[in-house]
Amino acid sequence: MAGPQPAGASAPALDAGNVTVRYGSFTALEGVSARFEPGLIHAIVGQNGAGKTTFARVAAGLVAPAQGDVLIFGEKVPPGDVLSARAAGVELVHQSFALPPSFTVAEVLQFVSPRRGIFSRKAIERHWQSWLNDIGIDLKADARIQDLPVESQQSAEIARAMVSDARLLILDEPTAVLAPEGIERLFARVRGLKARGVTVFLVLHKIREVLAVADTVTVLRGGRLVTGPVATVGLEPSALSGLIIGDSAGTIDAADRAALTGEGETTHASSTPPARRPGWAGALRIRRATVPGGPYGHGLHGVDLDVDEAEIVGIAGVEGNGQRDLVAAIAGLAPLTAGEIEIGAQRFARQGLAARRKAGLRIIPFERNVEGLSLTSSLWENWCAARLVGRSLFSPAGPRALRRDADAAFQAWDVRYRSPDQPAGSLSGGNAQKVILAREIDAEARLIVAAQPTRGLDIGATAAVWNALRGARDRGAGVLIISSDLDELFDICDKVVVLASGRSVGSFTPPYDIRAVGDAMIAAGGHGQEDLAP
Amino acid sequence: MEDLIVAFLRSGTPIVYVALAGVIAQRAGVWNLGLEGLMIVGACATIVTIRLTGSLPLALAVAVLLCCALSALLWFVVEILKANQIIAGLGITGLGLGGTALALTAIFGSEAAVNAPFGLPRIGPAFGAFGGLSVLVALMPVLVFGTWLVLCRTRFGLRLSACGEHPFAARAIGVSPTLMRLWALLLGAPFCALAGAELAAGSLQMFSVNMTSGRGFMGFAAVIFGAGHPVGAALAAFFFAFAGALGIRAQLLYGDRVPSALLLALPYLATVAGLWLSARLGRRSTASGPNELGRL
Repeated sequence: MAGPQPAGASAPALDAGNVTVRYGSFTALEGVSARFEPGLIHAIVGQNGAGKTTFARVAAGLVAPAQGDVLIFGEKVPPGDVLSARAAGVELVHQSFALPPSFTVAEVLQFVSPRRGIFSRKAIERHWQSWLNDIGIDLKADARIQDLPVESQQSAEIARAMVSDARLLILDEPTAVLAPEGIERLFARVRGLKARGVTVFLVLHKIREVLAVADTVTVLRGGRLVTGPVATVGLEPSALSGLIIGDSAGTIDAADRAALTGEGETTHASSTPPARRPGWAGALRIRRATVPGGPYGHGLHGVDLDVDEAEIVGIAGVEGNGQRDLVAAIAGLAPLTAGEIEIGAQRFARQGLAARRKAGLRIIPFERNVEGLSLTSSLWENWCAARLVGRSLFSPAGPRALRRDADAAFQAWDVRYRSPDQPAGSLSGGNAQKVILAREIDAEARLIVAAQPTRGLDIGATAAVWNALRGARDRGAGVLIISSDLDELFDICDKVVVLASGRSVGSFTPPYDIRAVGDAMIAAGGHGQEDLAP
Repeated sequence: MEDLIVAFLRSGTPIVYVALAGVIAQRAGVWNLGLEGLMIVGACATIVTIRLTGSLPLALAVAVLLCCALSALLWFVVEILKANQIIAGLGITGLGLGGTALALTAIFGSEAAVNAPFGLPRIGPAFGAFGGLSVLVALMPVLVFGTWLVLCRTRFGLRLSACGEHPFAARAIGVSPTLMRLWALLLGAPFCALAGAELAAGSLQMFSVNMTSGRGFMGFAAVIFGAGHPVGAALAAFFFAFAGALGIRAQLLYGDRVPSALLLALPYLATVAGLWLSARLGRRSTASGPNELGRL
């Protein structure tokens, strides 16, 4: 491992001068200038859409700025040139990992390395295994990327970045995919890299994490630099959260603010649910539900889950632990091989989504732009699709009336749009999600399944989604929310159930203990250390 | 028995060559449906050049160059103009089939079959019944092994595969998937040319319009059946050839009792059965192609 070169030791690790990036008509970064000292851990924070990932990609040469320069250790790097950036010592660990899934760890390392010529599989596995052992990354060189748990995939990404002796390592939202314990291990590794003289950039969005690991913090908002880099020593969490949120969303209450920016250690549900009313039989009752695992997940193995009326239940867990199978099972898209599902006290076995919707099931799906909306269809068509499901094929439907109803619903949900005829693809993420909320949250809803409902949304839109779900709960609907953000779950849920390796492994009620939940997330062994050891 | 093996090697070799080209393209992320067109251009160029100049090396060079040019055209249409891979590939096939017919008319005045005075060198009488096979048959195992070595055991091969499987992974380390696909198609072009040369000049020494009759597509099917692996694809190609050789044999033996059209359809039925089988076996990731394949 090369430390900072003597010549470059005094130069800033990264010196961005007036960097502006545009994607078409959208300005992702606007005149960002900042200098980062070498040998430190720098955090970059901001809301979704603040430009953090774009900034990281500019530094790594993946995105060419429209104007401005980037100097790496005092050396000017041609814009948008990955090879030059890598030669200057910059490596980027991506948020959604950039490793070919069918490759083995050794192949991945060989693929990025400068080693040429014909190799034998055994030889490269031996070579890279000893290299991995040397730099202290606990991975098997012969393991295939697709078989690795998320945390190990991230380790493989970090190893990939270290192959070329990175002097400036950028990790783009590395904590988003990890359980709390995994985050601690990651931070220990980052500190180890710092001790070796590597400058580390961490794109984060939780203040708690920033203060735990970073030496300096830089805040971006709406593509502009708000402050930084400033030392984290003596920094007030609430001041930092104010900088991240800005005054654009002033109506968010204090508990939500803390959850949105990950300020505190533990959080509480910010409102109490209404008392049970007689005649309520439960919004969702799942007993011993079993779904075979597929290429994309663990499946479900004897999951029990209850959601009462007027209750928000959260599903916590590292991504890929059966969350998608759970939603598919509730929707009737993945048939159960054992167990049973009741929605609104009505048992469902083979009936499809239409029958389930009639019983009051509403779904806010994982993929907003694929499952949630037809991006090329108009807004009103997207909105009315749900009410046409289950009607007879020849039942009359008046486009004029439907368009008018859609218009009224969008007004009520505060969607920012020009016309109900515009395609759904032309809306921003937050507005697109509000269209889905307007469709899915209605008076007949008995069970609302919200899968990652705030992913990729900025703070204002996130708060709007939370308030919509709370509103539905207060009107008596059961809400099941699946999220990988514990702060989100702790803030709005009346109960949190942990899913690990397709099993429900724990149920928690407020006040939540982030440690206990974190332990449960890795307890089932799906992501424990024992999987990673050679 | 020896006759059957000779017929089997003779009919299998062109399909193996064209399948290798398909494997290279598929690894880089291109479904090359132009294989049929490239192959017939290779066949036509070889025979016509031998006939006109009497030089075999020149004939092979012309065949390779034309295949490279057509592959580069396919790359340009798919990668630069962002056309749909399937349509563009079928376009290249149409261009090859139609273009060779046109070339015959332009040069010889009719679409009649063209004979060449000689073909590819044979491996020689020292090998007994196998002596009549061309040197390309003997070279085939070497090239299959070489392709495997390059694709699966070099950094270049890993990078090529990354471009097909996860282009962002390649981009993230500074490898351009677009350029890599050009290299893949150019690397595959000589294989298509050799496939055509073997078909037309390996034993027959003649070219006729449409003479590939779907062998390029069989090669394409072999890529899928062989899960994108060079050795797998070669074995799949031989499986199809075996069915073909069996079909011819069956025609001789049972031609009077079973409709010959049905027996002639045997290799194609085997192709369909093979694809069905490979889908049933549910090979992961590669049977259905790299993740990003064809998604442009």
